[in-house]
Amino acid sequence: MEPAQVVIIGGGATGAGILWDLSLRGISATLLEQGDIANGATGRCHGLLHSGGRYAVKDTDTARECLAESRIIKAIAPHCVDDVGGLFVQCAQDDPAFFDQWWRAAAAAGIRSRRLNADEARELEPSLAASILGAFTCPDAHVDVFRLVLANLEAAVARGGRFKTYSKVTNIHTANGRVRGVRYRNTLSGEEHEIPCEMVINAAGGWAQSIAALAGVEVPIYCDKGTLLVLNHRLNRRVINRCRKSSDADILVPAGPVCILGTSSTRVPGPDGLTASAEEVDRLLRLGEEMIPGLVDTRILRIFCGVRPLYAPKTTEAAKGREISRGFALLDHETRDGVGGFVSIVGGKLTTYRLMAAEVCDCVAKKLGVDAECATDKTPLRPAIDRKTHQRALHLLPHPVADKMERRLGPEVLRVIQAIEARPELAELVCECELVTRGELEHVLGGTTPVPAYTISDVSRRTRLGFGPCQGTFCGYKAMLAGYQTQCWTAAEAANKFSAYLHERSKGQSFIHQGKQLEQLELNHDLYGAEQAFCAKPGVQDGN
Amino acid sequence: MGINRYDVVVVGAGFSGLVAAGVAAHRKLKVALVATGAGSFVTGPAWLKAQEIQQASAAPDLGEAIAYFCELASLAGCLYAGDISVTRFLPSILGDFHSVALAPLTLWNAEPRKGISTAIVGVRGLSSFDENFMAERLTEQARLITSGCTYTARQISLSRDMGVPVTTLRVAQCFDRDSAFREELLNALRAAASGFERILLPGILGLETSAEQIAVFERELGCQVGEIPTLPPSIPGLRVYHHLESYLHRIGVELYRGFPVNKVEIQNGLCTGIQVDSTGHPLNLHCRSAVLATGRRTANPLGGEYAGCDQQMRPLTSTGSVMARNLFVAGPLPHSSAGDHGNVMYILTGYRAGSLTASTRGNHAA
Repeated sequence: MEPAQVVIIGGGATGAGILWDLSLRGISATLLEQGDIANGATGRCHGLLHSGGRYAVKDTDTARECLAESRIIKAIAPHCVDDVGGLFVQCAQDDPAFFDQWWRAAAAAGIRSRRLNADEARELEPSLAASILGAFTCPDAHVDVFRLVLANLEAAVARGGRFKTYSKVTNIHTANGRVRGVRYRNTLSGEEHEIPCEMVINAAGGWAQSIAALAGVEVPIYCDKGTLLVLNHRLNRRVINRCRKSSDADILVPAGPVCILGTSSTRVPGPDGLTASAEEVDRLLRLGEEMIPGLVDTRILRIFCGVRPLYAPKTTEAAKGREISRGFALLDHETRDGVGGFVSIVGGKLTTYRLMAAEVCDCVAKKLGVDAECATDKTPLRPAIDRKTHQRALHLLPHPVADKMERRLGPEVLRVIQAIEARPELAELVCECELVTRGELEHVLGGTTPVPAYTISDVSRRTRLGFGPCQGTFCGYKAMLAGYQTQCWTAAEAANKFSAYLHERSKGQSFIHQGKQLEQLELNHDLYGAEQAFCAKPGVQDGN
Repeated sequence: MGINRYDVVVVGAGFSGLVAAGVAAHRKLKVALVATGAGSFVTGPAWLKAQEIQQASAAPDLGEAIAYFCELASLAGCLYAGDISVTRFLPSILGDFHSVALAPLTLWNAEPRKGISTAIVGVRGLSSFDENFMAERLTEQARLITSGCTYTARQISLSRDMGVPVTTLRVAQCFDRDSAFREELLNALRAAASGFERILLPGILGLETSAEQIAVFERELGCQVGEIPTLPPSIPGLRVYHHLESYLHRIGVELYRGFPVNKVEIQNGLCTGIQVDSTGHPLNLHCRSAVLATGRRTANPLGGEYAGCDQQMRPLTSTGSVMARNLFVAGPLPHSSAGDHGNVMYILTGYRAGSLTASTRGNHAA
């Protein structure tokens, strides 16, 4: 394996952000991720690009950081952001003193907000309960987390950055008090490789503790589990926050054609093998119902869990999940533990990933003697699509399909357009919920993209295929056939990949014991003999 | 008996409801079948899995119920093959084999047979089925379960413009409606089938096709013809539904298709009727007894009071009292316990509910 100046461990938003930042500064770097992109906390959150409102009362610094960073992300990655705005809703059940506190704190943090009375709020969001007292507006937004990570990686690759998915770090070599290289295993092939390097950045989120342990360093991480529900309908246009001290089920984020309700907060020992309990799901629904009547009757597409990997040095040990700061920490293990060339970036949140990356990279650049400044706040993640290409797409595909495809692929869209022009049958919609064409599917499978897809789940994260009501039953099957037809996989490989995909999808559907989604599960069983989630005991299934 | 008066009103047109309506009608009762649409079995292959038969094997009336179902299907024109005591491996959409006890004849014809040369025939443009994938997988999988059977992929092209992409439903509709299309398909298949003793197609052979028509098709082609399940729309599933429903209509069952149920009328522990929603005004279907076979996916017509059933399939409240003595629940309702799913269980409970309605006849004056 080619040596790199820096090895980054962790393919979430932070790791991808670091790869992009280093690549912009001309530092050669390789990113290693044990699964696929956004495998940890990044891929298992609301996708809320915080305006800072959520932290205004508790933590003004974090609120300010969120506000500044969300503005930057909206500017550098508009194709990843759905800038819907948000509301902080005053529920009759909640403490009215907090409403005023929030209003003052938001102003102090510089968050632009308007006070709405109940009628105005319900005019904007008709599904809100009649009992609400009013609402404050805020500039919250939804960010497609997979797209954001991809955008960072693609931009980095264009500048010479390298990354490897399905590469689990097994060892960090140190000699004479410095890191010398990293050993990793390809989890698909089982092969082991080694990369010599000058520095290692630990951006492994929930796994940061175990990565640090490989270099003999202790990094205390508090894993705080949150459970989220994906609902079939987009019940809200804006992000709806409940205006109270952070608690369960107080954020509902519109995400494409669905919306996501969450979360809960429970300490768990580690980031693997997360489970949601039936009580947790019922509780989320019940609480959600207080803000949005009728929510309990909507179709739940899936249930998933993620961890907030919070940094928990001894002094904060006594605090509980939600009380630990959402701020982040940069640990220089050279000064802290005597391991040269090793740094960890821990804590923080999705919205501040770029800032976290910038701080690590400042530190790393200094150590490497590179004096380039951070430019990620001013550099768009990808160039805009030219008008001619846009016109060509509109000639081939319905407007919403062309629009989604452009947002997903950027200038790469040209390849798909050319393919559809040559073979019109590629215009077929394979995923009708997320509007994925066969052309786009074959493009993602084709191996010419900067971020290759190895499994059907990888394809889902690249295209959002299978994120709708069928949860991959139909479109996942077609993706399997496409993988076979494009000769990426043999028939047996394709079938195995599809079974693994169905299994992964079914994990998130274990509590669904009635309604339309049950019909979908019964159908999966009929068609594929798929493991039937509702045969299992409720309450013991994995998350995402 | 008045215009809206029935001996039995059955709600739901899945396997439970169709079988219950059949049993009641065969016992000379006046039956209404109310449903918002077809039951969910139509999206799948409509076969009965061996495992489900085994799970239900403790039921003394299983054999009777399944025999009745086969007879009903046969009278309706869609032959089922198999028996509760047999297990066959039938190809699934994923190109592996599922253990099945009974299946519609065309699907049954696809079982692996040693020494029978078999072609998997795809249709150009039908994007949800890939004959090469299927042939490669089935050959591989057949090696695991029997002494082997090889499958060869063939493709046919049809001149008719059936849109892009071609769907199984589109092909099946053309097959039903257009004799010229059937002729063209037959000719194309003749070429593809030459040299083979059996051809397997994705499920496309019409929604209304009877067992006799398939037999004629086989004679014309000079080889056996089978179907492999596909993604929905599943033609074999829809075909079973079509045949059963038309047959029930022919023997006098009145169909209320597309009518959602407003409420179940219960007075003094007896169900007096089912109120359905028809445009503009509710319609009361009076009955001597009723069967609820609405499944777990729609709202429970009995509302939140319902808390399960007793041994005679009568609905109970949470305190354990019978909600109505002449009302029977076939198949699961929302919030019922796990495990009671599957076509076998639906047929069995439908059969029982239908029989119970017959035995409660004349319990009260409607």
